[in-house]
Amino acid sequence: MSGQTSTVDRRAALEMRRIVHINEEIKHVVSSAFKINLMAMNAIFLAKRAGQNALGFGVLSNELRRFAMDLQHQMELLRETTYSSVATVTSLLKQARLSRIVDRALQASSGAGRRLIEGQMRQQRMDQVDRQQEQMAALNRKLSQMIYDTAQIVELGSVLARSAKIEAAYGGGFSSPLTQVSTDFEQIIGEIQRSLDKLNKTQEASR
Amino acid sequence: MKVAQTIYEDGNHKWLALVRDPSKPGYLIDTNEYLVTAGDDAILLDPGGSEIFPAVFSALSNEFDPRRINKLFASHQDPDVISSLSMWLEFNPAIKCHVSWLWSSFVPHFGGDDNTFVTIPDAGADILIGGQRLQAVPAHYLHSSGNFHLYDPKAKILFSGDVGAALLPTDENGLFVEDFDRHIRHAEAFHQRWMGSERAKRDWCARVSAMEVDMLCPQHGAIYRGADVQRFINWFADLEVGVLKT
Repeated sequence: MSGQTSTVDRRAALEMRRIVHINEEIKHVVSSAFKINLMAMNAIFLAKRAGQNALGFGVLSNELRRFAMDLQHQMELLRETTYSSVATVTSLLKQARLSRIVDRALQASSGAGRRLIEGQMRQQRMDQVDRQQEQMAALNRKLSQMIYDTAQIVELGSVLARSAKIEAAYGGGFSSPLTQVSTDFEQIIGEIQRSLDKLNKTQEASR
Repeated sequence: MKVAQTIYEDGNHKWLALVRDPSKPGYLIDTNEYLVTAGDDAILLDPGGSEIFPAVFSALSNEFDPRRINKLFASHQDPDVISSLSMWLEFNPAIKCHVSWLWSSFVPHFGGDDNTFVTIPDAGADILIGGQRLQAVPAHYLHSSGNFHLYDPKAKILFSGDVGAALLPTDENGLFVEDFDRHIRHAEAFHQRWMGSERAKRDWCARVSAMEVDMLCPQHGAIYRGADVQRFINWFADLEVGVLKT
């Protein structure tokens, strides 16, 4: 069992580092979503000032704001899942430590104590570790699915930003500032996509 | 490895001492554990840290079926006292841990849930072990602010936690104190630094002097017996405590 627990230790340590990495990317996306939200509010005011020529741009800015809020909500869900992952990994590390102590107790014991460890405690430990590992795998699958769902949302944001750029061309005297705003939308959404790509790669590496 | 030794026996009423472990890593403080059995009950006093669980468990199981341990007594909250709690709960989830109320929400960080703990009020409490009434005697601030010793009036044994502790050199492995003057040198710095309250010390000395104690069993070091018990109380009463040596 000690071989198994050291493997568990290594996996858990890797998992912990992976979660830290995911959380960093989540923070980055949340900050980008916040920026999009603010920019979209400014864009709505700008479109109102531009009047009739920027009606389409105004609608798209509203949609981009909704997109930013959806993205923030999705990031909250992702954060909750990573929190559950941290709890599972912590528990797994604790189980691995307990298993090592049980192993040492087994080596040191004879008679009734040895029988008790072999017949009851050892199996209990292994079952616990197995359960935690299954839980960790399930959380990982959930995380992958959520990253995929987020990528879909971001893809929609990217389409909205491109459409806003087209609409900006019809902005009359406001065309230049509207184009600038839509370019900024595109850039920030591009950054979010890069963060999601990194998250995807991290997930693939863990499989 | 640790060895369990019987220090008191009267029918099925028994005290086992697990003292000194020469094979333990040097970075861990050495601890003594005591098992009191009577009838179908068994209580393990200061079960020890999780790192020494294998040694305690194996030594105990050579003499006693560990599944029969249904109570634990933690004199206070330190990790060398009770961090093995989760291991004991592994094979007996119904085990009860008696501990000062002060630590009842701290010790669960080592394991257990709200069914595990039996809290001891500041004034102390009786703990029944197979018909024997053991007494949790207040020893607050010696050294922990919520601290109890355990007295067995029939066996006339007082488990005294950190009071009476001595950090002995590795070649001094005796179960009992044989030469008080030589032994007490290893207890002096410990008591001066770990025991912080002069008033708590005086109260304890007065309380224990009034009790009939044949053996004083600390959590570290050798056991005091016979005249060495009062010798220790007198020595402790005269010792200046709360001393920070610079």
